[in-house]
Amino acid sequence: MARFNEGWRIQIKVIRALTSRELMTRFGRQNIGFLWIMVEPLMFASLVGLVWSFLKAPTNHGMSVFAFVATGYIPLTFLRHSFGQSAKIFVANSSLLYHRQVKVFDFIIVRVLIESVGAMMAYIFAGIVLAFFGLFPFPADIGVLVLGWAIYVFFIFSLCTILAPISEMSEVVEKLVPVSVYIALPFSGVFNMAAWLPPNVRDALMWSPLVSGMELMRFGAFGTVVTPYYDIPKALGVSLVCLLIGLILSRRVRRTMTIT
Amino acid sequence: MIECRNLHMDYRNGHVTKNVLKGIDFVINPCDRIGLLGRNGAGKSTLIRLIGGVEMPTAGKVIRRMTCSWPLGFTGGFQGSLTGYDNARFIARIYDRPYAEIREYVEQFTELGSNLKMPVKIYSSGMRARLAFALSLAIEFDCYLIDEVIMVGDRNFQNKSKAEFFEKRTDRALLLASHSLEMVNQYCNRAIVLDDGRATVYEDVAEAVEVYKAL
Repeated sequence: MARFNEGWRIQIKVIRALTSRELMTRFGRQNIGFLWIMVEPLMFASLVGLVWSFLKAPTNHGMSVFAFVATGYIPLTFLRHSFGQSAKIFVANSSLLYHRQVKVFDFIIVRVLIESVGAMMAYIFAGIVLAFFGLFPFPADIGVLVLGWAIYVFFIFSLCTILAPISEMSEVVEKLVPVSVYIALPFSGVFNMAAWLPPNVRDALMWSPLVSGMELMRFGAFGTVVTPYYDIPKALGVSLVCLLIGLILSRRVRRTMTIT
Repeated sequence: MIECRNLHMDYRNGHVTKNVLKGIDFVINPCDRIGLLGRNGAGKSTLIRLIGGVEMPTAGKVIRRMTCSWPLGFTGGFQGSLTGYDNARFIARIYDRPYAEIREYVEQFTELGSNLKMPVKIYSSGMRARLAFALSLAIEFDCYLIDEVIMVGDRNFQNKSKAEFFEKRTDRALLLASHSLEMVNQYCNRAIVLDDGRATVYEDVAEAVEVYKAL
């Protein structure tokens, strides 16, 4: 037990050190630094929001199109970045594996952590700006909003633990990682609420933790304007199964990794 | 004590498998100075990487009952895009040592001055070796794994490393892969000759050197 606790303590130190190293290499010390991580999701969401607001009515199903797009696209950018960052993540960081206490799993935790914090900051920022123009309501239930985020982040983390090792196993799979983002789109609940869909499609989508997470986030933000559909036990179950597969694959890949 | 038990290591590339190590057994006791001899490609670096836990053996295991450095060699251990100072901070953190102390030791041992503010990827191998040695000495391990690298240093660095490893830290164990026979002769109390994937341990260093010369 003492050894287990000591192991945890070391892993937390490693994760903290890796996080600050990652922030330094990616954003440098100059200009706005870490805030860069918010820029892309915000630009993306605002441009898509602008296009949508010309194509559709400014409000749709009782929500502002801008708010709807922002709540969908910011988590989606997080998904895209996390998947992209997971490809070849072990080899990219392999020089750090010279230190025995650094585990391949730490790399995935750190990347997903940074991306998720950045996305949440962008989410809050977008919410405040839109609220200033009266386009975003004060969140109806912050607890539900956070729960939705947590489910979304946990599922993406468990998917990344699968994507990272298989991207090392074969070149073909590595190239498939960006494609997998597009495959994920219809199952991500970005463009629509489950309530707008026929019941049989909706039931099938409940197998996607992304949909449950997104529905909860939107319910937490917009309240009773939307009718959410979600299945928390299913979402957690699917995520845990993915995480288990990911752990096994990561371990196998690490055992046969050649480190230069 | 560090024990290698029946270590096997295969490297696979497509259909070709190379058995680099075919069953290695030996023990590193505290205070042991072991010279690791063998021709190029005999598996010296591989063995050191396995002992350091950087790569995992195909079969067999390494049992570590004392703290052990990462393999101090030409590559590995640093993030090239970060500066010497940032790497030092990172390593201080993951080995749970106060950065201020480590930093001071690194400045004094490496004598790299303002180079420490430059990214490690532009360092020469000698500069890298200085940084790696300084960090591992500041952290204080029971056992140091040294892969060739003392030889890349200039005279000043070689003297410094010799003083630190062979005069000050006589209570530590050392596994030293080297082609410098005089160094092995002068400083090691045991030697291992690696040939054809197998290791032979010699208690008499001079005998090991003769065997190595005959390879």
